[in-house]
Amino acid sequence: MKTSTRIVAALALGFGFSTVQAEQPVLKVCTAENEMPYSNKNGEGFENKLAQYVAEQLGRKLETVSWTDPRYFIRDYLDKGLCDVVMGVDAGDPRLLTTAPYYRSGYVFISREKDGLDLQNWDSPALKQAQRIAFAPGSPAETMLRAIGRYNDMFNYQQELAGFKSKRNQYVKYDNDKLVNEVASGKAEIAILWGPAAARYVKTSATPLTMTVIPDNAKRADGEKVGLHYSTSIGVRKNDSALLGQLNKIIKDGQDNIEALLEAEGIPLLDQPETAVSMN
Amino acid sequence: MQISRFAKQVSTTALVTAAALAVSSSAQANKELEQLAKQNTNWVMQTKDYGSTHFSEMIDINANNVKNLKVAWSFSTGVLNGHEGGPLVVDGIMYVHTPYPNNVFAISLDEPDKILWQFKPKQNPAARAVACCDVVNRGLAYAPAGKDYPATIFLNQLDGHVVAINAKTGEVLWKMENSDIAMGSTLTVAPFVVKDKVIVGTSGAELGVRGYATAYNIKDGKQAWRVYATGPDEDIKLSKDFNSANPHYGQFGLGLKTWEGDAWKIGGGTNWGWYAYDSDLEMLYYGSGNPAPWNETMRPGDNKWTMTIWGRDVNTGEAKFGYQKTPHDEWDYAGVNYMGLSEQMVDGKMTKLLTHPDRNGLVYTLNRENGSLVNAFKIDDTVNWVKKVDLKTGLPIRDPEYSTHMDHQATGICPSAMGYHNQGIESYDPNKKLFFMGTNHICMDWEPFMLPYRAGQFFVGATLNMYPGPKGTLGQVKAMNAVTGKMEWEVQEKFAVWGGTTATAGDLVFYGTLDGYIKARHSKTGEELWKFKLPSGVIGHPITYKHNNKQYVAIYYGVGGWPGVGLVFDLADPTAGLGAVGAFKELAHYTQMGGGVMVFAWERGNEST
Repeated sequence: MKTSTRIVAALALGFGFSTVQAEQPVLKVCTAENEMPYSNKNGEGFENKLAQYVAEQLGRKLETVSWTDPRYFIRDYLDKGLCDVVMGVDAGDPRLLTTAPYYRSGYVFISREKDGLDLQNWDSPALKQAQRIAFAPGSPAETMLRAIGRYNDMFNYQQELAGFKSKRNQYVKYDNDKLVNEVASGKAEIAILWGPAAARYVKTSATPLTMTVIPDNAKRADGEKVGLHYSTSIGVRKNDSALLGQLNKIIKDGQDNIEALLEAEGIPLLDQPETAVSMN
Repeated sequence: MQISRFAKQVSTTALVTAAALAVSSSAQANKELEQLAKQNTNWVMQTKDYGSTHFSEMIDINANNVKNLKVAWSFSTGVLNGHEGGPLVVDGIMYVHTPYPNNVFAISLDEPDKILWQFKPKQNPAARAVACCDVVNRGLAYAPAGKDYPATIFLNQLDGHVVAINAKTGEVLWKMENSDIAMGSTLTVAPFVVKDKVIVGTSGAELGVRGYATAYNIKDGKQAWRVYATGPDEDIKLSKDFNSANPHYGQFGLGLKTWEGDAWKIGGGTNWGWYAYDSDLEMLYYGSGNPAPWNETMRPGDNKWTMTIWGRDVNTGEAKFGYQKTPHDEWDYAGVNYMGLSEQMVDGKMTKLLTHPDRNGLVYTLNRENGSLVNAFKIDDTVNWVKKVDLKTGLPIRDPEYSTHMDHQATGICPSAMGYHNQGIESYDPNKKLFFMGTNHICMDWEPFMLPYRAGQFFVGATLNMYPGPKGTLGQVKAMNAVTGKMEWEVQEKFAVWGGTTATAGDLVFYGTLDGYIKARHSKTGEELWKFKLPSGVIGHPITYKHNNKQYVAIYYGVGGWPGVGLVFDLADPTAGLGAVGAFKELAHYTQMGGGVMVFAWERGNEST
């Protein structure tokens, strides 16, 4: 009898919190410690705001779990149960379950308004003439700069942008605000970035900048399509379809609110293609 | 012609390489520098002499009495980073250099407690961030006074400038920009004086620098020639009969054809190692380094002429031969290191040879007149990326198990990216016909990654882990016959022997260890005869010289460089420092940073033999 009493006491102590939490359970969202403009530990990113919105809609308390290395956060955080939700992944990312897309955007050309560059597509002469083009390595922008023969010209500049850090044995970060600022400050004529990653800095730039969404018709030299428009979803662990369902409902019901939030950020929003439905 | 003339000399005298070459050197050659190199009172170039023998004929300090060596004097450079290379000694003055900020000190050997002059350059501190593996400098060069210039010390600064300094006063004579740090290019190589020129290389292949070697006129720094490792033949400067003796090495147009598109523009192939020169043939020898970028999937093809042993006409820069050791490198086996010249019998004929222990774990010996392969063998039987070199084709026969392709996780690759032989200058004893080599014994796992992020972006990279090789230690010292491939003796060292060796006719071979010992071994047996623990670990090489009729041995201490990068930058992650931190994690328990030169002598009357 004594033993069981002790157990009951332990339960009461240990689960005291969880009784309270049961009333307002926690939504554990993985966000970056510093991957702006998506998220940071001060909650200043647009995905921080989205996470807050989603938590409120679910009636849960938001708890953010922050990671530092974007290469491994799904494997080392979401898959290990340190969090249950990641806010921004490509729709259909095979590493997790993804919701219906909550927005679609594209890669953009960014230039100074006063330069009046005619940047419509990859055959624009301005791309051939630019001394410096800022972009993130490993992105479709890199693939296309290779295709138009400008990658090698930009290689040294690209190393400089990351402080000459080798991509061997480390994650080398390219700050989006820095890449945009290269254009604003006149160091580079053009930046080619994922629109949502650049939007905030384009919007707040003291030097007026032009941002043009690149049409999604690019091909590599071998004819294979290079995707430039992507749909973004919320991701959960592969076995967490219950949570997925709840999130899908929020995305459907709160579409206007979510769009307002993204538009405030300045993100260029594109219509979802007819075929784009939840991959799950 | 030259071979037969040379053979005659050898048959009548047992003189060492440098002496024999001097006889036949042309009237134009920088004869005085060659003469100075032969005098025991001097150590006028990093390689000791043009043949890079690092061999002294002095016997005052020898196998019998070396145990009595004592510290004669010492000098702190005030700089803590890794000290590669060695001091120079000319006309009673020792010239000491440091890693960044690349200070230079002149010290009179008569009064070593006083600094004659010092040069402290102002340079762009941004250079520090660009250098991959500590902010090393491999040393100074000296040119004796000519008719239109005074005796000159040459310094290559990390920020890419070449500086000519008056050797007597420390005043700057001229300064040239050789490398642009904004392009990721730095300078760590030691300059090399030949005739009326100073030869300078480049660093930064890792960052997509297109490597070149440049000759500047000693008198005014004007560029005499510049030759690239990649690109059009006219940029690489191939002679009309390039590789005519070995057309299977490849001849024309390959600096473009062996690259996809214009990737040769960022193709690497820098040279930051050592040069050698044959004043009879008037040929300069050096190695170009690894192709860029490091990720091999991004640069299909042989990537010529990276990883190449060059034989070039020093007057024009034109290449007479080029032998690519590691076509399409996958491991960062930058082949820039030691080129040792010797004259040895090959198939009954006295032959002018060039021996090169490569970072890829193979030792290559070539006929240095035409580049023909004489021999290529493993520096250690644990080398596994390659089965052997086909001497007929010159090609390495690879083992695909140890490839670093993106879809393949290779474990236990030997050597590691650091190579079994890195930047040390080795020595050649012409009497024993032995090369003495300090080596690494480090292997690695290479895990390539290509991880999806979002919006079609991927993170592409690789994680390298380095660790001691199968023999359990990180270093070895070996005595090698380059013609037969036989190792006369070999001993294990706990840590890599990074800085190279110096041999003497006193049956001695000296070297420094990463944990801070200077050691002397019997050059016939490898037996350890003497050692002394220095204030910090060694990544430079010993020198020896005579002053006031007494023989001295001097060496830099100052741990750092690639193996010591963890100590220098206080790194703990085993994969940091391009993977070096894990391999050398023990080092911090043995030594710490600190830079200077320590000079040893044998006190007469002190002998106990």
